[in-house]
Amino acid sequence: MSTRNRDTGAPREQVEIPREQVEITVGYRALPGKDQQDRLEKITVEPTEGDAPPWDANTPYKVVGSDLDRVDGFAKATGRAKYAYDQNFPDLQQAMILRAPIARGTLTALDLDEARRMPGVTAVVALKDVGNKVRFVGDAIAAVAAPTLDLARDAIEKIRADYDQEEHNVEYLMSGDAPLLSMGGEVDDEWPADDDIDALLAKATHSHSGTYRTEVQTHSSLETHGNVARFDQKHLDVWSSTQATFGVRGELARALRQRGVDVESVEVHSEYVGGGFGSKFSAGIEGLACCLLAHEAQKPVKLMLDRFEEHTTAGNRPSALMQVRGALDENGRITVWDWRSFGGCGFNGSGGAVRHPSAYLGKAKVRQSHKDIACDTDPARSMRAPGYPQGWFGAELFLDELAAKAGLDPLALRLKNDDEAMRLDQWKFGAERFGWAEARAKQNEPGARYLTGAGLASARWGQLGNHGGRNPHGITCRIHNDGSVESRSGAQDIGTGLKTVLTMLTAEELGIAPARVRATTGHTSDPSGPGSGGSTTTPSLAPAVRHAAYLAAQKLVALVADHLGVPLDEVRCSAGKVGTDKAQLSWTDACKLIGQNPIEAHGERFPNYKQDPFHRGVCGAQFAEVRVDSWTGEVQVTRMFGIQDCGLVIAKKLAESQVLGAMIQGVSYALHEQRIMDQRSGRMLNGDFLRYKITGTKDLPALDCYLHSVANGHDNTGAAGLGEPPSTASAAAIGNAVFHAIGAPVRHLPLTPDKVLAALQKAQRTPR
Amino acid sequence: MSHPPDRGVSRRSFLKGSAIAGIATTGLTAAAEAAELHRPPSELGPGEHEITLSINGKARLVKVETRTTLLDALRDRLDLTGAKKICDRGACGGCTVLVDDLPVNSCLMLAVDAVGCELRTVEGLADPADPKATHPLVQNFVACDALQCGFCTPGMVMSSLSCLERRGTPTEAQMRHDLSGNLCRCGTYGRVMEAIERTAKGEGGGR
Ligand code: FES
Ligand code: FES
Repeated sequence: MSTRNRDTGAPREQVEIPREQVEITVGYRALPGKDQQDRLEKITVEPTEGDAPPWDANTPYKVVGSDLDRVDGFAKATGRAKYAYDQNFPDLQQAMILRAPIARGTLTALDLDEARRMPGVTAVVALKDVGNKVRFVGDAIAAVAAPTLDLARDAIEKIRADYDQEEHNVEYLMSGDAPLLSMGGEVDDEWPADDDIDALLAKATHSHSGTYRTEVQTHSSLETHGNVARFDQKHLDVWSSTQATFGVRGELARALRQRGVDVESVEVHSEYVGGGFGSKFSAGIEGLACCLLAHEAQKPVKLMLDRFEEHTTAGNRPSALMQVRGALDENGRITVWDWRSFGGCGFNGSGGAVRHPSAYLGKAKVRQSHKDIACDTDPARSMRAPGYPQGWFGAELFLDELAAKAGLDPLALRLKNDDEAMRLDQWKFGAERFGWAEARAKQNEPGARYLTGAGLASARWGQLGNHGGRNPHGITCRIHNDGSVESRSGAQDIGTGLKTVLTMLTAEELGIAPARVRATTGHTSDPSGPGSGGSTTTPSLAPAVRHAAYLAAQKLVALVADHLGVPLDEVRCSAGKVGTDKAQLSWTDACKLIGQNPIEAHGERFPNYKQDPFHRGVCGAQFAEVRVDSWTGEVQVTRMFGIQDCGLVIAKKLAESQVLGAMIQGVSYALHEQRIMDQRSGRMLNGDFLRYKITGTKDLPALDCYLHSVANGHDNTGAAGLGEPPSTASAAAIGNAVFHAIGAPVRHLPLTPDKVLAALQKAQRTPR
Repeated sequence: MSHPPDRGVSRRSFLKGSAIAGIATTGLTAAAEAAELHRPPSELGPGEHEITLSINGKARLVKVETRTTLLDALRDRLDLTGAKKICDRGACGGCTVLVDDLPVNSCLMLAVDAVGCELRTVEGLADPADPKATHPLVQNFVACDALQCGFCTPGMVMSSLSCLERRGTPTEAQMRHDLSGNLCRCGTYGRVMEAIERTAKGEGGGR
């Protein structure tokens, strides 16, 4: 694609050069508490030639790991941060999309003329042609731009669209592809025969079976999807609420050319993004519509979705149906794990895959199968740890039920079965910190109205950073002669704190105060970075940030060595000085040696070290305590504790925010969130924030977390992303706590009062 | 089948029907009171007309239609984009501004109804040219990292400000109550309440 950006270079050639070997110390120091010890080991890695030397468990950090404030916190807290939604230009047009009111059928007529003739309307585009299929309620039909949103809405009302409606189904369990459920909610289909599994189940000391369900969750980013597009001849600028600036740039350029728009270059800007959670990788039909309108109007156009569109057309975490059979031997080891799952997806029938915690199953005979089931709704999109919270809820609750049958404490069962050595330390530490034994020993008075209980669950995420494959990620570092430093990435900061990470790593590498560094993210004119998915942004970019600063420092060091007449290899940047032990310049004076043009270095993200890291992915553990009102069935999560392996903790406050935020989202998923569809109209009934509930201040538990800093030896920095890892465990831990509190499992998320009361009744503790 | 011209309720019918839905959030009662006090002249509209709003102590001229919400007037016509449009239906608090010292969901108030009121928006809490003029609450938001993506933050700040102004040293229950109309998807609630506590204790410097 020919865009105005500075290209980040062709694929690197694969030349084998003998590499220097470096011994580093990886692992972590003993967690606080009883029976904990250092888990450090030495490994030898071969950094790519020219890369910054690896940091490891013995690196003395000055800035990294500190409590630095979020560098764009002030801009955000004062309302000065400009998100896509906030872009204003002279003559800006506001746009809106006409959405299909039917879930399935064909567009048979589309008349845009009356809308076009309306005074003020500047552009009208068709997004479907007559004869095209309509796939869900909210499918985009046409779009309108006008000077105000009110006028655009008036014009939308003037568009005539006719449809040939077909029968639809928006309930995946009603699909012919879905398994049959018994009255009790169990999957009723026979398990396929398997001699090994059948034998293991038959001879097991304790065996169990259960069916678990979760509902559709919408991402509910507070900034809806949308863009502002502005053409300048054949150049297009797009301010996008996206978590993949480079993906959006490529997608829009391709789609516009396909539509016959002569566009030479596209630049995407996403300096601030109001959340994404996995739903904002694509420019989507709304992005394309915005650009088409801007092209037709020859004026800048803003098209942001409204909340109903956001709930119904911008993706979701699909629902899941899971059935498990499993057994324990006399030692409490899991011997067999038979798992089948079904994903309730949108019309494209994909994205519903469910994951379960395989770390418990090292000794077990495992069988698993999955089937995605389509229905006539908006397709699923990845959402914060796609497939994990669903599967973890089913699997961890199943394990607690099995443990109860075997008379085992849930923690004991985990300790017997968990193959993650690191998590064994985390379980013990977390149990102590949370007060697990005491919380489990608490007895609910017979007949008491409020019942308390405690539960736990594991957290796991397998992905760390990558180098970007054919488009290696990069970072620009500039040192100016006034002593200021820039660190620039074209990737986006969706709230995770990328700008702060750039600032801190650059300051650490250059030995200067973070206040000297200005980080910029989100403009595709800067070096490319990954889409913010799978918790890969920070670990993918951190090594490149270091590399860029490292290269820039070398250039400054050369100037200083020359100026002071000292040997080049003795000059260091540290503690705000540049020089040798004997002769030094202050950072400010050193930078005065730089001419009009700043020092500029392009940092590359080299591939991860080939050697095995200390640990692949990250793990953690979470604990939850709940209070259930046995009269009303209401669940209150009273407190939670999470320990989370973070790789190298870079920005401590921000990392904590992310872990705590994931736990809050977990509370929300566990207790409230569910998309409710109307089978007749095919429409979402609660597509707003009044009836689609997310956690607010009144159901906020007391939360605490511990950041477990681990030198993983993956690359020169060893960072990990924290979007997904802590998101896997929370709902599962809460589900287990409710089981403990009421003595009966509620196997269907969200844990709403109706289901809790039904389970209570089943447990024969009939509420008064 | 023919598609009826319907994209949900119109602004007019919605505003009529929304009073009950909005009462649950902190803002609407105030909005209703404010609307009572400042009835606009009855012959406004159709089309645009100019009104004067008093925002952060300054009189601002702005052209609106009668149906233009206060939020749209601030964001689209005065480029005061601190207040965010998140639900546009009084359910999230992201558009909170103070109207005569009471927190109001500005998406539920018509701009013409704000004539004669003292409006305060998040932009009034800091002057980028003079960091010392930053309200301590803002500094505490930053210090407590009471924000992630930051999209809910301006609304949170304004609801927090109102909580502090009305209650002095709010209890935890009062904070939970006063912020219950503000949604945050990133999960910053605990730290927002910390920021309020710190401000109440006089931490955070500034004015
Ligand atoms: S935008 Fe006004 S309350 Fe949500
Ligand atoms: S900080 Fe992202 S929504 Fe609150």
